[in-house]
Amino acid sequence: MSTPVLQARDVSMVFGGLTALKNVSLNLDEGKIVGLIGPNGAGKTTFFNCLTGLYTPTTGQVLLKGAVLPGDPAEVTAAGVARTFQNIRLFPSMTVLENVLLGRHVRMRQGPLASLFHGPSFRRGEAAARDRARELLAFVGLGKVEDELSRNLPYGDQRRLEIARALATDPAVLLLDEPTAGMNPQETEAARQLIFRIRDLGISVVVIEHDTKFIFTLCDQVSVLVQGELLVEGTPDVVRGDPRVVEAYLGKPPEEVEAELQAVQEGETP
Amino acid sequence: MKAMARPLIIVGSIVVIIGALLPWATFVLNDGPYPDKATLEFFDAPFGLSSFRLYLEILGLAGLVFCFVPLRDKIRVLKAVGWGALGVALINTLFIIGDGGGFGAVTVADGVTAFGGIAAVIGAAVLLYGAFQLPAEPKVVINPKLPFWAEWLILLVAFVALLLLITETLTAGGHSGVSDPYIGPLFLSYLSAAGALLGVLWAVGVTKWISDMSERHRIFSIVVLVACAVAVPFTSLGNDYWMTITANIGVYAATAIGLNIVVGLAGLLDLGYVAFMGIGAFVAANLSGAVAAEFGIRLPFLLAAIVAGIVAGLFGAIVGSPTLRVRGDYLAIVTLAFGEIFVRVSQNNIGGLTGGSNAIPNIPDLSLFGTGFNDSLTIGGVQLPSGVLYYFLIVVLVALVMFVFGNLKNSRIGRAWIAIREDEDVARAMGVKTGKLKILAFMTGATLAGLAGAVFAHKLATASYDSFQFNQSVTLLAAVILGGMGTIPGAVLGAALLFVLPEELRQFSDYRLLFFGLALVVIMRFRPQGLIADRHRRAELADQDVTGESLDDTVIKEPVAVAGAKEAGA
Ligand SMILES: Nc1ncnc2c1ncn2[C@@H]1O[C@H](COP(=O)(O)OP(=O)(O)OP(=O)(O)O)[C@@H](O)[C@H]1O
Ligand SMILES: [Mg+2]
Repeated sequence: MSTPVLQARDVSMVFGGLTALKNVSLNLDEGKIVGLIGPNGAGKTTFFNCLTGLYTPTTGQVLLKGAVLPGDPAEVTAAGVARTFQNIRLFPSMTVLENVLLGRHVRMRQGPLASLFHGPSFRRGEAAARDRARELLAFVGLGKVEDELSRNLPYGDQRRLEIARALATDPAVLLLDEPTAGMNPQETEAARQLIFRIRDLGISVVVIEHDTKFIFTLCDQVSVLVQGELLVEGTPDVVRGDPRVVEAYLGKPPEEVEAELQAVQEGETP
Repeated sequence: MKAMARPLIIVGSIVVIIGALLPWATFVLNDGPYPDKATLEFFDAPFGLSSFRLYLEILGLAGLVFCFVPLRDKIRVLKAVGWGALGVALINTLFIIGDGGGFGAVTVADGVTAFGGIAAVIGAAVLLYGAFQLPAEPKVVINPKLPFWAEWLILLVAFVALLLLITETLTAGGHSGVSDPYIGPLFLSYLSAAGALLGVLWAVGVTKWISDMSERHRIFSIVVLVACAVAVPFTSLGNDYWMTITANIGVYAATAIGLNIVVGLAGLLDLGYVAFMGIGAFVAANLSGAVAAEFGIRLPFLLAAIVAGIVAGLFGAIVGSPTLRVRGDYLAIVTLAFGEIFVRVSQNNIGGLTGGSNAIPNIPDLSLFGTGFNDSLTIGGVQLPSGVLYYFLIVVLVALVMFVFGNLKNSRIGRAWIAIREDEDVARAMGVKTGKLKILAFMTGATLAGLAGAVFAHKLATASYDSFQFNQSVTLLAAVILGGMGTIPGAVLGAALLFVLPEELRQFSDYRLLFFGLALVVIMRFRPQGLIADRHRRAELADQDVTGESLDDTVIKEPVAVAGAKEAGA
C-alpha cells in the first residue's frame, strides 16, 4: 500500500490547561474522502488548524506525501493543503473573482517589479490566473456572479466560493470545515456532488460535518473525535454500528439512534 | 406626509427664489474695498461677491423644475438640490450675522428690514424636508451603448468640465485670497453649489456612468488627465500664487497616494508617514550642493531624488518591520513614535545632516537647458508664470506615483495587500506571506514619500524639520480618508481640499481649524467611505447596517497570539 497523501501522527494540542487534542492520528489516502465527526468542542477545527500550520501542535507531526509540513500556514498552502473555514472567512469586500484570484496567489510568480511594470509576461500570467479562476467558479457553479462583492452572495454561494478559492491553490488535499452548515437540503445535495467531483479531480478531501447522514453517505473513511481523542475510525458501516459512537457522539437513546440509522440506510438505497 | 412632499418642495423652492432677491443685510458691511456695494445685495459686487444669489436662484428653479419633470430617483436629485441651497443660504446668513453685527443684521435694525437670508434658509429647509418625504427609489444606473469615439468625446468633455470646475473652485472669490474679505463665504457658497451640481449628476447616474467609461478607456483617460494637468498654467490659475499652491497640492497628493498604499490597500495605520517625506527632503538637500549641506557634492537632481527615494524606502522597511509582531493600534503607536523621533532628531541636528533649527536653506534652484525652475517661461508667445517648471515637474511626479499605485493595486501584490487588510489570518492561510508584503507596503509608500520629499525640498529651496511634524502626518491621513481610501482620485481630491481649504478660509483665521474639523466630522458621518470611494470600500461601508459583522466569528480570531508569535519566528 502506498503512503497516504496526508498523515497526522499523534498530534496533540494543549491550550494552557486545556488539552484540545490528544494523540490524534489520521491517514488520508490519495483520492479518498475522509469524514471527521464529533460533538461540539471535540477538537475538530483545532485539528484542522494543526494540519494547516495555523497552530503548531504541542507534540506530533503532520506529513504531506511523506514530507513533514512546514509550520507556516502560507507554506502549508504552497505545499498543497488548502482549507475552508467553519465560519465563512471570505474577503468580504473583494469581488467573487478577486477572492479566487487571491487563491491563485501562491501559484503565481509575479514579483514586485513585474507587478510594477505590467510587462507582457505579467499580463500573460494575470490572464491565465483569471481564466483558471473563472474555470473554478464555473466548476463550483458560480459562473455568473464574478463581479459581485463576495459579502453580497447568499450564504450557500459563499460556502461554494470558499471552496473555489481553496481549489485555486491547486491543492493535493482539501480540508472542508462544515461545508454544508446552514444549507437547505438541495444545497446540501449539490455540495455532496461537488465534493465527489473534487475527489474525481484527484484531490483528497477531509470533511468535518455534524450531519451524520451526509458524512456516512459521502466518505470512504470516518474518524470520530470525542473530547480531543480519536474514538473510532473505519468505514462508515463500521463507525455507524459502533456502540461507543452511538453513545458518546450521538448521546441519544439507542432506539432513537437506531431509527436515525435506519433512515440513513434507507436513504442510501431508495 | 408622503402626499406633502410635492407641495413642500414647491413652496420651499419659491421661498428660496424670493429670499434670494430680498435684501440680506440691514446695513453695509463695513470692511472691504467697496463698502458701498458690500451689502451683499448685488449679483456683481466686488469679486463676484453676490454670486451666492445666483446659486440660490438656480437651485430654487432647479427644485421647481425637478419637481415637475418626470425623473427617476427624484428623492436623491432633490435632496442634493436641497442640501446645496441650505448650504449656500446658511453660510451667507451666518457670515452676515457673524461678521456684520449680530442677528439684527439679517432681520431688522434701525428701521431697515432684511429678511432675505432668513427666508432662504427656511425655504431651503422646507425644500429639503419635502425631498426627504419622497418615496425611496433604487439607484439609477445608466449605461447606454455608444461607439468608442462618442465615449471618448464624452470623456473629453467631462474632463475639461472637471478642469474648469476645479479652476473655478480654486479661484472662487479672487486669486490671492488676501485682499478680498469675502473670500471665505464666497468660496464656501461656491463649494455648496458645486456640491449640489455633482450631487444631482450622481443621483441621475451620470458620475457613475462617466467613471465606468473612464475605467473602460483607461489609457485615454490618463492621457486626457495629464493634458488637463499640463493645461492648468494656461488657465486662470496661471499665476505665481496658484503655481505655488497647485505645486504644493501636487507634492502632498503624491505623498498621500503613497500613504494610500500603506493605509488604503494594506490597511496598516501609519501615523508618522510624513517623516519619510522628510527623510527624502533632507537626503536631497544634502546632495544638492547647498552651502549648509553636509556633503559638498551636487548630484544631478534625478540621481539625488532616486537616492532620496531609496533611503526613505530603507527606513520604511525598518519602520515596517514591527508589523511582523504588532498589529492595529500598536502599530499606529510605533509609527507615531518613529515620526516623533524623526522630528526630534532633525530638530536637534543629531548626526549633523539636518541643519537643526537653521534647516538647510538655499538649496540651489533646479535648471533645465539653462532655464531656472523658478523663472517664468514663454512658450509660443504665452508668458507662463514663474515656478511653472516646478509645476510640470510635480505633474510628472504625481503621474509617476499614480502609475506605481495603479499598477501595484491591480496585481498579485495589490490583491494580497487588500486581502491582508480584509482578514490577515485568512490571507496567510491562503498562502500570502503577510510579513514580507506588509514590509513591502511600508517600503513602497516610504519610497514614494521620499521622492516627493526630494521635489518638495527643491521647490521650497529649504529643508526644515518644521515641515514634517506630526500634524502633517495627520493631515495626510485625513486627506486619504476624506478623499476615499484606496483610490487615486480620492487621495488627490483629499490633498487638494486639505491643503487648499486653509488658504481659502484664511478669512476665518481663528475658526478655520474648527471649520475644518467640523467638515471632517460631517463627511465621516455621512460618507464614511470618503468622497471618491473605492468600489470595495463603498460597498463595505454603505450597507454596513444590513450585513454588519456576521462573517467574523471567533475560531481563528482568538489564537492571534499563537499565530502572531509564529509568524515572527518564521
Ligand atoms: N486558540 C484557542 N485557545 C484556547 N482554547 C481553544 C483554542 N481553540 C480551540 N480551543 C478549545 O479547544 C476545544 C476544541 O475546539 P474546536 O473548535 O476545535 O471544536 P470543534 O470540534 O470544531 O467544535 P464545533 O463542532 O463546535 O465546531 C474547545 O474547548 C475550544 O474552546
Ligand atoms: Mg469546529
